[in-house]
Amino acid sequence: MPIIETQNVHKIYPNGVHANDDISFSVEQGEIHALVGENGAGKSTLMKLLYGLEHPSSGRIFIRENEVEIGNPQVAIEHGIGMVHQNFMLVNSFTVAQNIILNRETKQGMSIDFGAAVSDTAALSKEYGLNVNPNARIEDIPVGMRQRVEILKALYRGAEILILDEPTAVLTPSETQDLFAAIRNLVVGGKTVIFITHKLKEVIEISDRVTVMRDARVIGTVNTAETDERELARMMVGREVFMQVDRPDVTRGMPVLDVIHLTYADDSGHQLLKQVSFRVYENEILGIAGVEGNGQTELAEVLTGLRPPTTGEAFISNEQILGRGPRSVREHQVAHIPEDRLTNGVALSSSIDDNLIIDRYYREPFTRRGLLDIKSIVDNGVELIREFNIIAPNGAIPVNALSGGNMQKVVVARELSSTPKLLIAAQPTRGVDIGAIEFIHQELVDQRTGGLAILLISADLQEVMKLSDRIMVMYEGEIVGIFPNDESLTEERIGYYMLGAERQDAVEMERYA
Amino acid sequence: MTSLRTNLLLIVGGLAGILVTLFITHTMFDGSMEKMTGTETWQNILLVNVLVGACILLFVVELRRQAIRVLLTVIVALILGFIVTFVFNLDAADRFASGEFRAQVVSDAEPSDDDDVDLEYNKRRGGHFNKPNVVAPVSEIAWTFAGSEGDVVSLLAYAKNRRSEVDVLVELRDDSGAVLAAATSATMTQVDETFDDLVSMKDAVIEGFALPADGVYTLYSRPEDVETGTVLAEAMNQSQLAFEALLLGPIERVNRWGVWIQDAITLILLGLSFAIVFRAQQFSLGAEGQLYFGALVSGIIALNSPNIPGILLIPFIILASGTAGFVYGLIPGALKAYLGANELVSTLMLNVIATRFFEMVLNFQLKPPDAGYVASSKFTENAILPVIVEKTQVTIGVFVVVIVIFISWLLIRRTPLGYEIRIIGSNLKFADYGGVNSRRTIMLVMAISGIVAGLAGMHLATGIHRQLILNISFALAFEGVVVALLARLNVLVVPFTGLLYAYLRAGAQFMERDANVSFEVVRMIQAIIILLITAEALVTFFQQRQKRADIDESGHAVAAVEDRDV
Repeated sequence: MPIIETQNVHKIYPNGVHANDDISFSVEQGEIHALVGENGAGKSTLMKLLYGLEHPSSGRIFIRENEVEIGNPQVAIEHGIGMVHQNFMLVNSFTVAQNIILNRETKQGMSIDFGAAVSDTAALSKEYGLNVNPNARIEDIPVGMRQRVEILKALYRGAEILILDEPTAVLTPSETQDLFAAIRNLVVGGKTVIFITHKLKEVIEISDRVTVMRDARVIGTVNTAETDERELARMMVGREVFMQVDRPDVTRGMPVLDVIHLTYADDSGHQLLKQVSFRVYENEILGIAGVEGNGQTELAEVLTGLRPPTTGEAFISNEQILGRGPRSVREHQVAHIPEDRLTNGVALSSSIDDNLIIDRYYREPFTRRGLLDIKSIVDNGVELIREFNIIAPNGAIPVNALSGGNMQKVVVARELSSTPKLLIAAQPTRGVDIGAIEFIHQELVDQRTGGLAILLISADLQEVMKLSDRIMVMYEGEIVGIFPNDESLTEERIGYYMLGAERQDAVEMERYA
Repeated sequence: MTSLRTNLLLIVGGLAGILVTLFITHTMFDGSMEKMTGTETWQNILLVNVLVGACILLFVVELRRQAIRVLLTVIVALILGFIVTFVFNLDAADRFASGEFRAQVVSDAEPSDDDDVDLEYNKRRGGHFNKPNVVAPVSEIAWTFAGSEGDVVSLLAYAKNRRSEVDVLVELRDDSGAVLAAATSATMTQVDETFDDLVSMKDAVIEGFALPADGVYTLYSRPEDVETGTVLAEAMNQSQLAFEALLLGPIERVNRWGVWIQDAITLILLGLSFAIVFRAQQFSLGAEGQLYFGALVSGIIALNSPNIPGILLIPFIILASGTAGFVYGLIPGALKAYLGANELVSTLMLNVIATRFFEMVLNFQLKPPDAGYVASSKFTENAILPVIVEKTQVTIGVFVVVIVIFISWLLIRRTPLGYEIRIIGSNLKFADYGGVNSRRTIMLVMAISGIVAGLAGMHLATGIHRQLILNISFALAFEGVVVALLARLNVLVVPFTGLLYAYLRAGAQFMERDANVSFEVVRMIQAIIILLITAEALVTFFQQRQKRADIDESGHAVAAVEDRDV
């Protein structure tokens, strides 16, 4: 019996976007149902319809075979639907128990019965194997536990159907394993889980059935046991996708970047980088693994001149590059794919052509005798649009008219076409669709094979392991391990380092530095 | 495909430009070739009109489809303005209920010798119905007269003269108050032939009434009740007159056209100044102060160089006023770039300093000791911008503006500095990331915009007032903001919006003069038009922002979720 079902649901936004086109799908009682699809495929819209955040333009929704109208999240909760958002909705200064009972308080006279809150939380936690400390404050607990709090919060409100929106995006591998165990527990306890993700490997691992969406439509629902990653990717993209990048063996060349005892403290004195030393060589991708917020962002920004270092040095071909600003760094042939392309990677309202010359507009042939050479600028745009397969009618249109993947291609095209010696690539495929990920990955590896030194920073451990020749783990602003990326290296092992549970000593680290 | 569209735009814009040029010229000279060629310096008038047409071409080619939106906004604003004018003219019909009048009883019969009555046969008596601003206005009269049985009398009530538009009725009553006869109007014959005193057919006449008995009768009169239809028709009439003055007033005669063009020169310069600095997302409002400094510097030079020939002096004044604006723009620029001082606050404060400094220098240094009011002496001929159209103050400032427009375009679109300005305006963090020295650029852009504002001050001093006076800017500086916003900060569109805006300003002035619309109403209509125009520009601004942050109904920010949702 399907516990939740949609029939011919359409959602057309006031601006004319047809976000859900004739969606019919159903989830069985007690299953783990994965929902996958590219950016903008309509998954989020569909979940918002189920949770009452949006209303369908037409079509019917059934819960336990009764037609329902979900006017708002309150109604959804009454029907037993719970949702865990990607961005947690917790009160940071409250304790775990306080957050869980929020708005559902047991009263003792006029005041809230906090004792009951703590014991209820503990009981619930034990029942579903979701380990939390009821008395800890949210701001003091790790991300994985916060997520468990979110799930408990939904369960406390009587959720029978849990919608998890990209739950693993913020987790380390071992935390992901814990989460999966908890999900399996929930299902054993009779709950139903809808799992939204873009990581096909996880889909295969955890789900019973998968529904694939593309271009606002449901492409199909398959039993997980009868499919594989490749087929799912093909359904998502609509064509054959090469999940593996072809990474030929090359011997690494001379060191390009040499970072020595780099330290950075922010304005309030927090040490965000502590004595960081490493090298990146020609023909090599050095991947930095680590849970986000452990100094990777600051490392990239200090090296590219966007932040001044506190102490330490960094050399490109034996020339000190720190503390002289971004232009000086760029003139030392360092390219930079920034972590957040909307913040500093592009100028949204400017044309593609203008976005492609930010590092070179002042040089020949773009500026001649003090004036911009429009022809060169347009030619540069035409050439890079073609070479990097940016889908755009011409270079004169503003970047904000492009999709996320094409925007990122603009960034990648500019940075790789600057003939760099070193590329610092931070989250190069974040928020990018599978087709563009494939393209960017192949481009990075090709450049590395061609001699480029690449420092790859990514929160996606699979991406780091797929592309890197060596992997360096950062934890709390320090380097805690450096490994060659060979068969013996597993995600679990890196995971321990990412959580700070293990660290190499100086001798071990020196071996692969 | 692209070139086809560009060509189409060129054709549409070109046609619009030519039509407007012809229309303006045609209206100015009533369509008479002789009248045109008979006017002094008509070639220059024609040249300026061709430039106006060129501005329209630029407007169409640069804004493309948005041009239609700008025009629609202006049309909607005008319609709203019309409605307001109409509402304020609803009292236009009041003039029929108020005014000086006369009344008399005309008769060939023997006058009675009763002294106790108000009227004698054939003697006029008058008054003022509903005189405004008096304590007890007269709203009706009931004047008695004595008559004998069989006297044939005619009762007249009429406006005193053509200036009074009061519309009266008249009644003949006997001593018990019963109405024996009544009239509300006169016939053509009565007005033209029978009674000399009548002014129009609105006047009321009871002709040839034979009195039934001896006794005292009453001539009763008051203004007729104004009907709703009359009220509306009158309001419509007046509003139409007013809008004719607004829309055609500025191009009716050469001197009025001159008012429009000279105002436009100032507004275009100020609009360019704002467009340049806003382009870099720097909300500097310093143009006012820079304008005062430019005016002050040109004034001081002009007053101290009576013997230098104009051909040397004028270029020097232009350069010096530009430099003054540059320096006065550099100050808030440096404060912003190196100390992080908010440019909005700093420029407003610097405006106060500049205007007060200007007043101080004017009052204590430049004012001739015997002058009766605060102003410098008139500049000598060599320091005044040469006039190119006789009987106007349209000067070579026209050419200065053309050059400044070209240079601004070159700066923004064709120089590395302009590229930096555009990128900083689009995303400052991206500029920093790309290695742009954004502090230097911000400082420079504020100073460069100051040059243009300084030139506007120069134009006001040496082109229009030809002396330094208090309040020389007439708060024009802030109207430059509207010009720049309406042009979407596009320096090639600013000339059009400057002309348009100056046209509305001039039109409003003539509306007040030609039609019966008070100054306050004119200002209100103008404000409504500005409000709509500005609102339209702001809508575009907000629509751009909307794309970045999408907030769902329950108040959760979903933008971030969407972004990572693969």
